[in-house]
Amino acid sequence: MMPERNILDSLGSGLVVLDERDRVSFMNRTLAEMLHATQEEWLGRSSGELALVMARFAQPVASPRFDWPEAFGSRDIEWRDGETLRFFREDSSPLAAEGAQENAGKGRVFAYHDVSHEKAVDRMKSEFISVASHELRTPMTSIKGSVDLILSGFAGETSPEMQELLEIAQKSCDRLVRLVNDILDLSKIEAGQLKLNLERLDVTEIAVRAICAVKPLADKNDVRLRVDRPLPLPIVEADPDRIEQAITNLLSNAVKFSPSKSEVVVELSSDNLWVQCAVCDQGAGIAEKDLHRIFGKFQQLSEGRRKGGTGLGLAITRGLIDEHRGSIWVESRVGQGSRFIFRLPIAAPPSPPGTPAMAGQAVKP
Amino acid sequence: MAREVKLTRVLVVEDDVDIQKVIRMSLKMRGVAEIVLVEGGAECFERLSSFAPDVILLDVMMPHLDGYEICRRLKQDAATRAIPVVFLTARVQKADRERGMKLGALGYLTKPFDPMTLHDQIVALVSGTAGGKEQEGGTGK
Repeated sequence: MMPERNILDSLGSGLVVLDERDRVSFMNRTLAEMLHATQEEWLGRSSGELALVMARFAQPVASPRFDWPEAFGSRDIEWRDGETLRFFREDSSPLAAEGAQENAGKGRVFAYHDVSHEKAVDRMKSEFISVASHELRTPMTSIKGSVDLILSGFAGETSPEMQELLEIAQKSCDRLVRLVNDILDLSKIEAGQLKLNLERLDVTEIAVRAICAVKPLADKNDVRLRVDRPLPLPIVEADPDRIEQAITNLLSNAVKFSPSKSEVVVELSSDNLWVQCAVCDQGAGIAEKDLHRIFGKFQQLSEGRRKGGTGLGLAITRGLIDEHRGSIWVESRVGQGSRFIFRLPIAAPPSPPGTPAMAGQAVKP
Repeated sequence: MAREVKLTRVLVVEDDVDIQKVIRMSLKMRGVAEIVLVEGGAECFERLSSFAPDVILLDVMMPHLDGYEICRRLKQDAATRAIPVVFLTARVQKADRERGMKLGALGYLTKPFDPMTLHDQIVALVSGTAGGKEQEGGTGK
């Protein structure tokens, strides 16, 4: 049987194991070569030293602001070696100890998989969608503009039948625009190309903005909107526009599926770790068999299509919350309304002025 | 204090003739007296030697010179620097908007736009009464 070390050295992915004292107990040949070193040189050296050396090559592509999660983690890093640029997916997990469970978690293993090809394909896909979106907008502008102008009466009187048919064209065109916008957003999220402009903010303000955006739709459907926030919220670090987009999506859905004279409430709360936002409606609710697919792409229920949805709103919302290292889920029962709930991690307190940033923190293995 | 401007002369730089027509009708409907339509940068600079618009409505994706480059040149030239430029484009991404605004544009409207409100949006931008410099021109974000 082949020795384990040979097997690990033959892997195309880099591998390093840190022991319970955060020291390198094993590094495979692939990772050592990535670092221009030998495996032996690294044995026994600290994770801090490793982080410093890796910082010369690596910078996180996404989410550089977050520390490693407690258990399992995965992120993409950009690896610059001279003129060569590659992308690696860094997976981190606790070292599974043999036998006794109390030893589990003492030490961690980090694996570096080359995902440069996948990144290139993602980028091409995203560029294609971006160009296609632009190309689709041009004829849509002419169609929508012409129809809107005829409906305004600018080009003369229209018969009631013509008016009705033109209104169908107008509504369909608006839906097509929403669809193109949603596809563009989702492709950016999926390609990891969404740039978040992070700010320290209070989710209450964002919720109020989202309510203002959805109010015209709510008024039209005779649905009341309300924010329920019993206590001041801790600050989160988030992109205000993207969180507003997420809450607006949830609120628009809630309004669309609410009976008239009902109420949609945005409940804001927090605990030690999270700020929570729940959008609660008094609509028909969702059958249990549909709950698992509600955040999927084009998984809208038949009612949703009838109400002019694109089928991508919830997939985008989940993508936006995931990008913020938050979580999102739904609680619903038929006949009892739905609660769409998301959580965002509470921001760390701001560093006092003059505190130097920790070297290599962003790439800490 | 912001004052409401009356639009009387508009230069539209747009290579799609159908969209040109929609813009022209939409502005005409609101009483804009002179609407000059050109298909690209060269024609735009040529017309500016004899036509002084209240605002230039500028597309981005055009052959030869794109709208960003046209805006850059307009803002570099002392003779045209003061003319307000408003982008009207299908490039809707945040980075595109930021690029347009950094070049000195007064506003950034996106396609598809609402022909019923286009005039008012431009007036709000030129008068300095628009809520934000970057706006959605169309329905749906």
